Amino acid sequence: MAMTDAASAPGVSPSDEAFARRLRRQDAIFVNLTWASATLVVVVLLGVLISLLIDALPAIRAFGLPFIWNERWSPAKEIFGAAAPIYGTLVTSAIAMVIGIPVSFGIAIFLTEICPQPLRRPIGTAIELLAGIPSIIYGLWGFFVLAPIMQTSVQPFLTDTLGQLPGIGILFSGAPYGIGLLTAGIVLAIMILPFITSVTRDVFNTVPVMLRESAYGMGMTTWEVVRHIIIPYTRLGLVGGIMLGLGRALGETMAVTFVIGNSHRIAASLLSPATTISASIANEFAEATEGLYTSSLVALGLILFFITFSVLAFAKWLLGRTEKF
Amino acid sequence: MSIATRRYTTNRVAIGLSVAAAAFGLFFLAAILWTLFWNGLSAMGPSIFLKMTPPPGSDGGLANAIFGSLVMTLLAVVIATPIGIMAGTYLSEYSGGSKIGEAAKFINDVLLSAPSIIVGLFIYAAFVVPFGHFSAWSGAIALAVIALPVINRTTQDMLALVPNALREASAALGSPRWKTMTMVIYRSARSGILTGVLLAIARVSGETAPLLFTALNNQYWSTDLNAPMSNLPVVIFQFAMSPYDDWQRLAWGGALIITVAILALNIIARSLAGRRSS
Repeated sequence: MAMTDAASAPGVSPSDEAFARRLRRQDAIFVNLTWASATLVVVVLLGVLISLLIDALPAIRAFGLPFIWNERWSPAKEIFGAAAPIYGTLVTSAIAMVIGIPVSFGIAIFLTEICPQPLRRPIGTAIELLAGIPSIIYGLWGFFVLAPIMQTSVQPFLTDTLGQLPGIGILFSGAPYGIGLLTAGIVLAIMILPFITSVTRDVFNTVPVMLRESAYGMGMTTWEVVRHIIIPYTRLGLVGGIMLGLGRALGETMAVTFVIGNSHRIAASLLSPATTISASIANEFAEATEGLYTSSLVALGLILFFITFSVLAFAKWLLGRTEKF
Repeated sequence: MSIATRRYTTNRVAIGLSVAAAAFGLFFLAAILWTLFWNGLSAMGPSIFLKMTPPPGSDGGLANAIFGSLVMTLLAVVIATPIGIMAGTYLSEYSGGSKIGEAAKFINDVLLSAPSIIVGLFIYAAFVVPFGHFSAWSGAIALAVIALPVINRTTQDMLALVPNALREASAALGSPRWKTMTMVIYRSARSGILTGVLLAIARVSGETAPLLFTALNNQYWSTDLNAPMSNLPVVIFQFAMSPYDDWQRLAWGGALIITVAILALNIIARSLAGRRSS
């Protein structure tokens, strides 16, 4: 290094050398501190994983792998199975994606291609701000506003129409409780809407103006530009954004806990009360005193962690590939 | 039907659907905000900021919950900010694209998107069980674990925007690395890093799940960091689920306070970020 050369060069006083040494020491301290901080983040994640594993161990020992597909959840008899919460987590997230993806794509297409220029920024900003609103607000709204509407109008209507169809009718049968899988899915859909919309809008805006303009110049209609130019160009980014939204929906606690009904039974109907992994933990963890009960809830947490981790890893892989464009 | 007519019809239908989707989505988002302000404003008044959370049926406010939320959020940010900035510095400046550095970045993103209730479970096992009681400290640490990856990630992104010429110019003047960072690079990325910290505060102040079994709740005014402490999100959760009208009204009031605070933080953060880029 230049500094070493200067220090050992003839005519350099010992005090200069000491000064250089001090600087190097300070440098080492600073770089090591930043290294330690970065390591701490890794340690925290390992800590999360290890503590979940340790606390879930009694449940894993007691129930083994069948824990995942056993539906029974009986704190009184100390028999626990994760099937109902896993089912609820997957179904509510699936409903959220089925509603959320087309609507967010619609908003993103509207914002990038159709909306009058002066309105684009305000609406886009409003949607980004909505993405920051805490999920408990969506839960409150679902509980006080959506659930009563679902109970008095939407669910009876669904039972009378779709519920009468052969096959899918069973999905919309049963008494209208207001709360349940469908309500939770709708609340989740509204919650992830701003998030997926802003990601989608951002990736839509990565399409080079040249490409877009030449497509319009060839006489393509707006829809054809979206369908044949923008979507193919941003394909990976779109799927990545959707996966990030899915990750949020899967792990969401507060928006769901209010409106899911906390019932550990798998019912065929989407209108029936159910539970998700995070809602079970939020509702029951404070009450769970028995070792095996607590441990089973932590085991649920561990399963949730693996589900969200795989979704995130897939999303990162896809988004990472778009950056190479 | 000619090809042109068909193309134009398809276009009109698709555009119509997309406008309808936009109207549908924006309608629901507006409906939520409207309900929030309508119900929240009816609970507003001086007493909500001055009185303690009441027992059912009597008059009260959210003073202890607001105080608890402020204390725990502040503690969380004080803990997470230096660590987050330092970690971001290492991953952006010194890990040099090595495999371990890339892995650490990925791990940070995993932590960033880990369900917050899992962070609550972790802090419960790591702090609440060993000390034998719920406490404001464990709540603050849970929030810090959530804020840390946010700050780490924004610091990485912001430092990556600082032009390399600045680092080289500083090195050419003979300044050591820590001086280059603190005197040159942090200064030019200051508003970006501050934006990250503000976003982390906004993220953390609405988090409910990690506080449910760390800070728990407290009906009274408490400044003891080793005891359970009241906080807005958990109070909102408990009061909203209760059958009492005045509790539910307070829950809406609390929800409005949190939302307005978070919107304000987000707007400040955005205007900071905007000024930097212009």
